[in-house]
Amino acid sequence: MRDVIHLAGVYTKITAKSWFQYRVDAVLRSLAVFLRESTGVIVIYFTLLKFDDLNGWNTHELLFLYSLLFLTYGIMIIFFTGLRDFGNTVRSGNFDRFILRPRGLLFQLIFANADWFAAVGHGGLGLVLFLVSAGKVGVTWNLETAVYYLVAVAGGVLIQGAVFLFLATLNIYLFETRSLKELLYYNMRKFAGYPISIFHKAVQFIIIYIMPFAFVNYFPAQYLLRKEDMAGYPQAFLYLTPVVGIGMYLLAYLFWRYSVRYYKSSGN
Amino acid sequence: MMKFAPYFAYAKKCFLGRSAYRFDHLMNIMSTCLQIFIFWGIYRALYGGNTEVDGITLPMVATNFVLSMGLGAVFSVNDYFFPDKIHDGSIATELLRPISVPGRMIAENAGNALFNLIFRFAPALILVVLTIGISAPAGLGMFTVFLLSAMLGYGVLWVISFTVQMAAFWFVNVWSITTIKNVFVNVLSGSMIPLWFMPEWMVGVLRFTPFSSIYFTPVQIYLGQLTWQEAGLKCAVQAVWILLIYLAGDFLWKKGQKKLVVQGG
Repeated sequence: MRDVIHLAGVYTKITAKSWFQYRVDAVLRSLAVFLRESTGVIVIYFTLLKFDDLNGWNTHELLFLYSLLFLTYGIMIIFFTGLRDFGNTVRSGNFDRFILRPRGLLFQLIFANADWFAAVGHGGLGLVLFLVSAGKVGVTWNLETAVYYLVAVAGGVLIQGAVFLFLATLNIYLFETRSLKELLYYNMRKFAGYPISIFHKAVQFIIIYIMPFAFVNYFPAQYLLRKEDMAGYPQAFLYLTPVVGIGMYLLAYLFWRYSVRYYKSSGN
Repeated sequence: MMKFAPYFAYAKKCFLGRSAYRFDHLMNIMSTCLQIFIFWGIYRALYGGNTEVDGITLPMVATNFVLSMGLGAVFSVNDYFFPDKIHDGSIATELLRPISVPGRMIAENAGNALFNLIFRFAPALILVVLTIGISAPAGLGMFTVFLLSAMLGYGVLWVISFTVQMAAFWFVNVWSITTIKNVFVNVLSGSMIPLWFMPEWMVGVLRFTPFSSIYFTPVQIYLGQLTWQEAGLKCAVQAVWILLIYLAGDFLWKKGQKKLVVQGG
């Protein structure tokens, strides 16, 4: 066990070093990711200067909702970059090298790479939004709310990690899954930046039951903010984030374990 | 007399090349529609029961999003045309050919744009019109001016990209610069927030930038918000922006070629 932790530490050091090899470029790239992801936030900010609220949510509450989305993605991508890029690893035949090494496959995939620009860009934006909004949304920060918040973030990380693991596993069967990820993950995430109650019922269904971003940010934010539009959903949803996270991750993990046995190399 | 045949061939090649990726294509249409649906949902909620805010009705807002995002899907500009060629050195062979390199970029992008217009904009437009509906154009005459203005808008977007790409002569990695440029274009061109709703001071600042010329001018003309005279003036402003930015880009393009060093061979 100690050996594993040590190895994870070494891996992390190496990836961070290689991503930040060119310092000015690294700072510029992180800044670019930060700004690119801020686009939606800037748009919300300007829009709400004109309109007072969006279905009862004011600017700070919307920023708080957004912050959860970015914070969880920033943490998640530190661990799951290897799975995000798993398609390339399989196509290039590099996965075979992982198989030959005397450590768990998932362990290697998780620790052998981390997109630090995305982590700093998304995570940094999430943190900034949280710091800007957390004091102004009327949440009393005490032990209970703090613990709830941390558990919700962990759950949100697991939910998105499970999706990445699931999509990565599909690469063992399908040649190309990029478009599927684009549709299921990145496009759906665009909806999740807003209170889902404003969207069509079909969109809400997808975002609660199929690609459950609602449990990453909407329901956790609702637990803390208690906006009126929560009336449209079961109260139990406020507490389900960690359950959904662990459940999805377990399922994705079993799917992975089952599928890896059938892996056929693309090489010769 | 310039010969157009090689440019036409480049455009055709790009058009045909695009037809190969069908699934990708479907995803692009979906992505354009989803984007429009998101903003439609947001504005329906923002308007609540109001029929208009500051004289702007909800269908007008929908039209703004459909047109600007639809045109955005058509306006194909390859932000990495020059950076890629400078990075791998193939710019050297490009320069030896008896054709203009920016001309080739225009041709390729135009081929792409035509493909996008037929196979991306049209299906997305039909889907959107059936589901949320948009305002009709303000008469045939104005619609013609709109078409002209939309083409000029594409020109503005193109010259901005062309000029920013020249940074590749001086910097190894232009991904960050390009990404930041696109943030400016997305936020300030009105495709994500209609410029009617921008704060007053922001509109004042925007007047001195080319961004509103890209999508917002054509949208205003389409909706009949401008008189003939104003429409003509705005189109002239678009043309001036194209000229000014192009001159800046062309200056950098000439300067870049002088300092260009291609390694290896």
